[in-house]
This record gives sequence, structure tokens and C-alpha cells, in this order.
Amino acid sequence: MDFNDNLPIYIQIMNLLKSQIAAGEISGGDKLPSVREFSKELKVNPNTIQRAYQELEREELVFTQRGMGTFVTEDVEMIKRLRKDMATSIVKNFIEEMNKLGFKPKEIIEIISERIGEEIE
Amino acid sequence: MKHMVEIRNLTKTYFTKRALNNINLNIEEGKVVGILGPNGSGKTTLIKILTGLLRQSKGEVLIDGHKVGTYTKSIVSYLPDRNFLYTWMTVKDAFMFYKDFYRDFDEGKFKELLDFMQLEMDMKIRTLSKGMHEKLNLALVLSRNAKLYVLDEPIAGVDPVARDQILDAIINNYNEKSSMLITTHLVRDMENIFDDVVFLKNGEIVLEGNAEVLREEKGKRIDEIYKEIFVV
Amino acid sequence: MGKLIKYEIRGNYKFIAGVLALVLILTTGMYAYMTNTKGGSPFEAMFVFLSFLVIFGTLLATFLYIVNSFRKELYEDRGYLTFTLPLTGNQILGAKLIVALIWFTTLGIVIALYHLIMLYIFTPYDISLSQIFETLMDIGLPFRDIIASIIFTFVNGTITLILIYFSMAISRVTFRNKKIGGLWFLIFLVLNALIAFSQVKVAQLLPYYLDISSFRIGRIDMFSYGFHIDVDSYGVMMTGNFGNILFNIASFIYSIGIGVLTFLGTGYLIEHKIDL
Repeated sequence: MDFNDNLPIYIQIMNLLKSQIAAGEISGGDKLPSVREFSKELKVNPNTIQRAYQELEREELVFTQRGMGTFVTEDVEMIKRLRKDMATSIVKNFIEEMNKLGFKPKEIIEIISERIGEEIE
Repeated sequence: MKHMVEIRNLTKTYFTKRALNNINLNIEEGKVVGILGPNGSGKTTLIKILTGLLRQSKGEVLIDGHKVGTYTKSIVSYLPDRNFLYTWMTVKDAFMFYKDFYRDFDEGKFKELLDFMQLEMDMKIRTLSKGMHEKLNLALVLSRNAKLYVLDEPIAGVDPVARDQILDAIINNYNEKSSMLITTHLVRDMENIFDDVVFLKNGEIVLEGNAEVLREEKGKRIDEIYKEIFVV
Repeated sequence: MGKLIKYEIRGNYKFIAGVLALVLILTTGMYAYMTNTKGGSPFEAMFVFLSFLVIFGTLLATFLYIVNSFRKELYEDRGYLTFTLPLTGNQILGAKLIVALIWFTTLGIVIALYHLIMLYIFTPYDISLSQIFETLMDIGLPFRDIIASIIFTFVNGTITLILIYFSMAISRVTFRNKKIGGLWFLIFLVLNALIAFSQVKVAQLLPYYLDISSFRIGRIDMFSYGFHIDVDSYGVMMTGNFGNILFNIASFIYSIGIGVLTFLGTGYLIEHKIDL
């Protein structure tokens, strides 16, 4: 993985895991790779992985069982909320960009409906 | 947290030229520290003082609480930026040499690393390519359970495959009880493995800190900060 | 230190073996040629001279090789390995010195023995080794003198080697520039002259001599025979009129002291002063 954003790497790793959880690639209760494995895989300092896991734990998306490893939360509500939060933030960004281009809310809705209509077909 | 290396007011002058000017630096146990700077910034001079190949003109250096000497040499594992092995040796000779001289040498670890680096015991040092040299040297250096690893430009001039193997080996070797000091000017390739970074310019520290904090503060990758500091 | 000696030997045994093989081939060739040519050949007359030349060449080549091996530690990349080993300067120097002495001794013994064997094989008379030794004993060779000479040559050689190492270390510490690396030789010559001079002074100050043949100690004028003969480079050894050897005791102790001091000095320099 290339860490190209100008964000701290632990945040980029958190975002990576969050989108995998939201997309269902990692399900509730799944075990995350160990710090060591993951740092090897991403070629990142183990302390950075450790930090990402700690922050995710603070956000209650993962939990650590001593001697067992780190697991994704089994709380379905938490995952739902994560999906919702991520969706909200994407939409927020999208609307901001559209506003910059001078689109009015009504026009934005039209464009989206049209586009979604095409995709359904 | 325990300081593995303590450097106080370190100055090194060659006749009139100042290679290092009043360096103050602590390296904590369990940290991977990148010393960043272009050629001639004083990186290698600093490292040579830590390994006992150079003497400081002023100041003090303590490694694991000891002045540089035979004790520190026994706990520091050093990868020079050149082919330091005796030219008559085979890989096996070099392995026996390390095993004989360093009590902290881990034979099993070396065999694993050798395998990982795709090197053979019967290869002759004289005939190794640049990348193979670098890989063998690193395999020897990382096979010691040292308290401090000092790696001088570990990926300079090697091909991308060897570079990845070297980075993997360095990350695999990480442990909380020892520290690593790595110099490089290839910042983009290595920045993700550093806890802390130190920017060295004309023998002085111009910026230092936790890599993640710096990324957050400056909103930039470390290699972008590097370019900002060193590109005129 | 023992470990470093092991790797030093492994590093240069091939060179020594090569030199030795060459010498033995040349020696064999000379003996064979000499026995096969009729008497009066001009070659025969040159035989002693040529053997001397071969031995001298061998020792010189080995000497240069050994001296250069120390120089390489100071000026080439291998120093990065040697000087970061958990060894003291004295241990590194000691290993280098001991290996050098091992090689010289080996060469000396092998060449001497080989000449004896060649003599035995190529002499036209059918005699056994024991007969040769008996003859030698009968002639009454001054064994004591020979052994004493060997010991003193050994001691002097060791001191010279240490002095060379010391000169190299001094030169390396003073001038970082590789190009004036040959300066060590100048330093060596000057130091050597100074030491030789001071040794003569010491000998003059304390003129007590040990006569190897009789194990008598005394001042020069107490020995009945005259002296006009060679003072060796260290002013330690003299040869009397009757072929007996006298050593100046004070001067001998003094030169050993110098050897010890320069050894420790070199060890200190390579451990604490050299900037690689």
C-alpha cells in the first residue's frame, strides 16, 4: 500500500481498515492481522500499526483480547453507524465540491437521480 | 523511557572544517530513528563516532550508559556504507566470523535471513553484486541480538527487489528492547519505518521529532519536508 | 585475540603457501642442477649466492605482505570490520604481530629444514641423518651462540615490526590523507635511528656484557679479547675475536622496553586516536 495522503500514516491505516469494515470485507468479530504481520505487509513501523489499532479501539470499532489479538467489534449498531458516518462524509465532500462548481441543491439532486437511474438500468 | 543513546554537545572538526556542530540527541529504547540529510550533512560522521571509528572533538556520547569502547562495540551492530567484509571470505566464513566475535549472534536467525535474501553459504564475497553484498551485510548485522543497530544507507544503490527485501528484513527484526539508527537520503522509500526523524544539515540538527507528529503538523509527508529543507 | 589470529591466518595462508611453494621449487631446481652438472660449472660457484638471494627474496616478499596487511587495516574498508570488533587496540595489534611472527618462523624453519633434506638427498655419499648430526657435533658447532643469535634476531625482528606498526599508526593519526601514507617509512627511519643512537648511549653508560659462550658477565675491558667488530643495528650484540658473542645487558633490556612501549603506544593509537 502506498501512503500518499498527507496525513499521519496511522490515520491512513485506520481509514483503510474502516472502509474494509464498512464494505464488509472484514466482518464483525473477525480477527485483524497481528501488529507484526500487518507491519510486514504494509512495510510500516510496528509502532504505527499499534497506534492505529489503539485509536480504533478508542473509537470502539475494535477490541483487544489479551493474548488473542485484536478483533472487529461484534456490535452491529457500531458497524452500521460507521457505514453511515463514512457515507455522510463522502456525501458532504461531494456536496461541497458541487457547491464550488456553482450547482444548486435542486440541480445536484437531478444529476444524482439521473445517474442512479442509468446505473439501475 | 530509557535512553539507548545520549549525545551531548557533540562537535567534530577536521582541521578547520566542522563536520558536526553541537549535536544534542537522545534515542529511546525500542525506537527506529531516521537520520536524514544529503551527502556531506554529517550523517556518516555521527554514525562513525557512535561505532568508535571516529573520535569526537567535543562533547559526550553514551550508549546504554557507557562511553564508546569495547563494551559498546559488543552491543552495537553496525552496517557500514561499504563492503567491510574481508575479501578472501565466503559467506560461510563471514558467518563464522560473526559467530566467533559477537556473543549476541543468533545462528538460526542468520540462516533464516540468508534464505530470505536468497544467498548461499558457499558464495564468495569477492564475486557478489552490489545488491547481494548489501543483503549479506544486512543479514549479518541483523542476526545479532544487539541493543543498538546502526545502519548507514542500507538501501542506497540496490535494485527495487533487493530494496524491498531489505526493508522487510529491517521491519521483521524490530523489537522493543533495541533501537535502530538508520541514515538515508532515500526518504520516500524508508520514511514509513521511522518512529522519529532527525534532519541533519551542514552538521547541525535543523528539525527533529516524531514522524507522525511532523506529518500532522506540516500536513506533508516526511520526504516533502525533506525536499523543503534541502532543496534550495 | 585468538579468534582474530585464526582469521588472520586464514586470510593470508594462501599467499604464504604460494611463496613457500615457489621457494621450495627453486631450491630443488638449484640442487638438482648443481648435482647434474660437472664440477667447475660457474653455476656451482653462484649456488650459495643464489640460495641466499632466494631466501632473501622470500623474506622480503613476506615482510612487505605482512606490513601491507597492517596498512590495509588503517587505510582500506576492512578496517570498518576490524576496528568495530569488541577488541582492544592491543588485542588487534597482538594478533597481527603474532601472525607475522608465526609466518616468519614457519618460513625460516621450513626453508632451513628443506636445505638439510636437499643436502641429504643430493649428496653423492650414502650417509644417514644421524651421521650428519654426529659429524656436526664432532665439529663442535657453537650451538649456544647459534641459538642465542636466533633468539636475538627474533627479538630484534619483533621490535622492528612493532616500530613499523607504530610508525604507520602515527602517520595515520597525524595525516588523514591517503596519498601521503608512505610517510610512515620516513617516520620509521627517524625513529629507528633515534632508538639505535640511544641504545648505543645506554650501552656506553652501562657497559656490562654477557658472554654467551662462557656465560660470564663483565665490562668490556674485563674480557681478555679485543673488540673491533660489528655492533648490530641495536647496539646490543657484538662478536668477539674468537667468534664468541657478547650482549650488552642494559641495552638489551632497554630495547625490549622500547618494544613494549611502542606496542602499547600503537595499541592506544589504534583504539583511541585513529579516525577512519
